[in-house]
Amino acid sequence: MTLNLAILFVSAVLVAGVYATMSYGLALIFGVMKVINLSHAGAIMLGAYVAYVLIVGLKMNPFIAAVVVVPPLFFLLGILLERVFVRPVRKAPPIASLLLLFGVWLMMQNIAYIIWTGEVRTITTPYTMMRFNLGAVPINVNRLAVFLVGVFTLLALHQFMTRTYLGKAIRATAQDSAAAKLAGINTDQIDMVAFGLGTALAGMAGALTALIYAFDPNFGGSYMLKSFCIVVLGGVESFLGVALGSLILALAETLSVLWIRAGLQDFVSFVILVLALLVMPGGLPELFQRRFAVRQR
Amino acid sequence: MAGILEGKGVTKYFGGLAAVHNVDFYVHEGEIFGLIGPNGAGKTTLFRIIAGIYAPTSGQIFFRGKEITGRKPYEICRMGITTTHQVVRPFLDMTVLENVLVGAAFGRGWVTGATRDVRKEAMRVLEFTGLAPKANVLAKNLTLPDRKRLEIARALATRPVVLLLDEVIAGLNPTETLQTMQLIREIRNQGITIVMVEHVMQAVMGVSDRIMVLNYGEKIAEGSPQEVATNPQVIAAYLGTSLAV
Amino acid sequence: MKGTVRTGRILLLLGVLIFLALIPVVGRGTYYQHLGFLTFLFITLSIAWNLVGGYAGQISFGHVVFFGIGAYTTSILWLRGIPQLLTIPLAGVAAALYGLLWGWPCLRLRGPYFSIATIGVGEATRLLALNLENLTGGAGGLTLPTPEDIRLYLFGFYYMGFFLMLGSLLISAAIRNSRFGLGLFAIRMDEDAAEALGVNALSYKILALMLSAFLVGVGGSLYAQYILYIDPGTVFGFSMSVNMILMPIIGGIGTLWGPVLGAVIFTVIQDRIMTLSLNLWGFTFKLVQFHLLVYGALLVLIILFEPRGLVGLAERAYRSVQRWRQAKAMVPTTG
Repeated sequence: MTLNLAILFVSAVLVAGVYATMSYGLALIFGVMKVINLSHAGAIMLGAYVAYVLIVGLKMNPFIAAVVVVPPLFFLLGILLERVFVRPVRKAPPIASLLLLFGVWLMMQNIAYIIWTGEVRTITTPYTMMRFNLGAVPINVNRLAVFLVGVFTLLALHQFMTRTYLGKAIRATAQDSAAAKLAGINTDQIDMVAFGLGTALAGMAGALTALIYAFDPNFGGSYMLKSFCIVVLGGVESFLGVALGSLILALAETLSVLWIRAGLQDFVSFVILVLALLVMPGGLPELFQRRFAVRQR
Repeated sequence: MAGILEGKGVTKYFGGLAAVHNVDFYVHEGEIFGLIGPNGAGKTTLFRIIAGIYAPTSGQIFFRGKEITGRKPYEICRMGITTTHQVVRPFLDMTVLENVLVGAAFGRGWVTGATRDVRKEAMRVLEFTGLAPKANVLAKNLTLPDRKRLEIARALATRPVVLLLDEVIAGLNPTETLQTMQLIREIRNQGITIVMVEHVMQAVMGVSDRIMVLNYGEKIAEGSPQEVATNPQVIAAYLGTSLAV
Repeated sequence: MKGTVRTGRILLLLGVLIFLALIPVVGRGTYYQHLGFLTFLFITLSIAWNLVGGYAGQISFGHVVFFGIGAYTTSILWLRGIPQLLTIPLAGVAAALYGLLWGWPCLRLRGPYFSIATIGVGEATRLLALNLENLTGGAGGLTLPTPEDIRLYLFGFYYMGFFLMLGSLLISAAIRNSRFGLGLFAIRMDEDAAEALGVNALSYKILALMLSAFLVGVGGSLYAQYILYIDPGTVFGFSMSVNMILMPIIGGIGTLWGPVLGAVIFTVIQDRIMTLSLNLWGFTFKLVQFHLLVYGALLVLIILFEPRGLVGLAERAYRSVQRWRQAKAMVPTTG
């Protein structure tokens, strides 16, 4: 039993790495622009297919494809989306951008369907079957690598956000867009960069996920919902929150197998999403803050 | 004069900050009660607590001697306390008449049965506030002064007992200011008690029977306009702003 | 002048309705009878979604749950021996109660947050239906008994679909001119301001959702009885929710006739254009492969350029024609 638990725990942690990458993309866009990006699912899905082309078609090393090639491509895609679709409706009620990006998602799905058909695809790499034992717990090398890539990306982003001017400007805009503008920050440009970065993260997360799971043009929808769930749990401001949210969701999903059938695993995350939305609109950070504030007094 | 609206020890914290701290107030029936204070003094927060938008951290609000703390905004409106919004919020895609109809169809007037014919009531209010010629104009096409007037008209259509006016004068030109001051007096003459937050000193000093001054969320003075204007604490709080009428 | 326009409109409407009512009499069991039934169904769904998404401004991505609950309620009850026709209102009631169950908490969320929650509710419900095999038959679905005279049977359902559509339209029109409708519009435009004027926003939103759920549930019930086979992938599928969003938005969200127009166009596109194929540069393209692209692009274009959809477009065209006429009338006097 304890061994089982240990195995489940390890697999939860490994999954959480990828979850964190895709959620951070969503959180970044929401935090800076207050736009709910429903095309996130499409970017995750396209990321998987681009990785497929690079790895299976062009025989590229899977991690070079996912980390070096995919993100810049999707950064450009994100910038394009922001300029063409999002910017014209920034002043409209939030529902407008939500529906608009939903339309973009539908289009992306269809484009993938036309190019790659509806067939389910998988990417098999030399690492796919490799595993080693940590004590008695078997660890899949591929999943570990994906986890590590996710974590390193987030750490690198954290450095970028806290150390560079651009990163600081993005954080300032997320906190108070009007004040950031007054302080001389070009918030239009920041919006564009944030959308680009968020989409790049989605694409990368999609590419990484494709190394583990099978995918088709509908792929991405449930991951986007999970990302929402994590963002709601973890809040949009902090890396720590997103990491914590990812871990909580991954644990809840993985451990749920002990009580309910595997087919209902996603059910758990959707229920957590709805409950989290209802119970704590500010996410975990606000919960902590509230506690802290009470103690202060 | 009987007390109609009363607050005891009203306190509201946001995070660790006190927006309103331990404020007592007492509004008499039929008076115009002014609420002033520097920016961030907690005036709008206090309004929102009365209107039921925020629940106070502690303290109680009484309306006609009955506690209404923590009631929902629509319940409070139906009981007879209607609030206008500092940043005017008309229903933009509705006409002026339709905007006022919402107040007439859902406010206290309808609930108590005092408003039988909703449309007639709405027209009566439009006549009273001078908006009747613009009844069929879409609210999004109104100028700011008209929007402010519509905000008052919509609230009046609910047939309030107490009307909370949040900065309905700020931003108006001198003529419009005088018009609105007159409107406020006329509303009071119909027997409606008025509590108003206002930045324009001349206006609030001119129409109020009594004034309460908030600073950093605490009450620092209360009394007639003259008493308040000569209160040293108030002068200190407003240092740099001219209180001279 | 205004009176004649109005009588003209009513006559036109009556003509269309009589025409629709006669279709199955002229040719029983024909293609057009099926197309008619599906169109009535989609119009109903579109109108019902519009009550919540258009009138009250709460965009639901999970409306398919009501369709599925309706379809499954009817199927399960019918298979257990409840009279078939009695299951129709029960399906509507079950859907409305399900709306109450999740609407009561979720409608406290504002705007986009409500929308996201509805995606979660929709997917969670689908997974539940997929996994409660004892009740729903799981992925295999449920097959309903085939009636003896299938032609007569479907003939009857054509009219049920017809009256469901008519009923939905009347309800939608009645709400527009009622106090209830005024409250919903106020909530859509500014929920806080509506509350401050005495509108009990939460109750109104829940009521609108339940009413909408009832209509969609009855629609699902009729669908199950018409097709005689249901499975979670179809009656709880996300794509049905997507259809319910697209139709009213294409036609004109928040309007009375927009959802009807959108649904008709949607069904015609599905039926006519999507079955075509094109030969270009030696490749054969089946248009059905492009349907999401078409709808996605339509959605994007509508939101960017005419948020009130085709109805908004028509109004704009009407106004510019009027202006052009006025301008023409002016010319002789000035010239």
